[in-house]
Amino acid sequence: MTCTLGEVKQRADFIVYWGGNPAECHPRHFTKYTIMQKSKFLPRGRKDRTMVLVDIRETKSAKAADIFMQVKPGKDFELITILRALIKHQHVGDDQIAETGVTREMLDDLVQRMKSCKFGCFFFGMGLSMTRGKHMNSAALLTLAAEMNAFTKFVAMPMRGHGNVTGADVIMRWQTGYPFGITFNRGYPRYNPGEFSTVDVLVRGDCDAAFIIGADPGATMPQPAIDHLKRIPTICLDPHITHTSKLARVHITTAAQGISAPGTAYRMDELPLPLKPALKSPYPTDEDVVRRINKAISEKPFWLPEGSQPQMITAQV
Amino acid sequence: MTLQIIDNATCTFCGCVCDDIQLHHDEVRIHEAKKACVLGTAWFLNHTAEKKYPDALIDGKEATVEEAIQTAATLLHEADMPLVYGMSNTTCEAQKECVAMADQLGGLLDSHTSL
Repeated sequence: MTCTLGEVKQRADFIVYWGGNPAECHPRHFTKYTIMQKSKFLPRGRKDRTMVLVDIRETKSAKAADIFMQVKPGKDFELITILRALIKHQHVGDDQIAETGVTREMLDDLVQRMKSCKFGCFFFGMGLSMTRGKHMNSAALLTLAAEMNAFTKFVAMPMRGHGNVTGADVIMRWQTGYPFGITFNRGYPRYNPGEFSTVDVLVRGDCDAAFIIGADPGATMPQPAIDHLKRIPTICLDPHITHTSKLARVHITTAAQGISAPGTAYRMDELPLPLKPALKSPYPTDEDVVRRINKAISEKPFWLPEGSQPQMITAQV
Repeated sequence: MTLQIIDNATCTFCGCVCDDIQLHHDEVRIHEAKKACVLGTAWFLNHTAEKKYPDALIDGKEATVEEAIQTAATLLHEADMPLVYGMSNTTCEAQKECVAMADQLGGLLDSHTSL
């Protein structure tokens, strides 16, 4: 249950940032899309909107918030579950609330505000989705947003970092049916995060070659994963010499997207936007290099035994 | 020297993908990025059209792009379980080619999302 940032800008009078720090990580999110904008439905702009920040520490974003709720680290799932109970007037014990680091008064006030708003929106960041509980936290928050629709309009949206990471999800969904963590080793796509997701694959040492594009796992991944990338032949495409390039067998310098390479990028609300490159790069684009590698691979025998091609199963009536 | 101006350029540093940036450039570097935030300004001003790095490296030695492409294709083709990973800081057009690569290799495909 989500919407575009345009709808948030026009209509959202109640905005919750959960486990994110937009003031430092998405500096224009406040001013361009959420709390600062005036609109037909919210003519007084900031005065018509309420912003809540839920985080484990008081970041710079807390200054912009009307209400700051400091949750104990790793207790996000518990807090969301308590909110789900409170909106339905179910009993929640004092010790359960105390565990989250938030008071009952704050929670009652939050529930009352959530129910009385016209259009509520949760923005959740890596502080929720990448800490203890991981995707279960995101799932709980999405469920809370869905259940809030019994009272008023409520949506949830992840705060995506890293330029076009949303585009990667969209393209993989379009091409394979799954957003990430995919294998083609049976000739058709299969999806299983935990088994086919990169960190797990590298830490277990499952893969025997790696092609890295537009990422720097050599700087961001846990050490056992980096060690495995050093052991296997790694190929890296990047506009700079990165940590990954240094441990790779092959590095190809490419043009930077949006600066000197044209194309399309997706905003975090899955809106595609065209890029307007200002400069001409002396390097080829990612698209060009990957296409040429694909062509070179296609000239070699197919990976099935004796280079045989996969057979189409024809319908038998 | 007068700078060329590009209106409504798109910034791809973070997930906001702001598309209202005004860039002032002289074809080598971007001198000003109006409306961009601190992160976006740093992103635009730190990339230039100068040739700072070698075209390609194979085992740490300089090589041509074509040699690197052939080596990459051979290494990926020889592998039993190659991994295609990343795709954050690149265009959708390149991402589509990456999906095609994983498909034709019978390999793994994953993005930053799973981190």
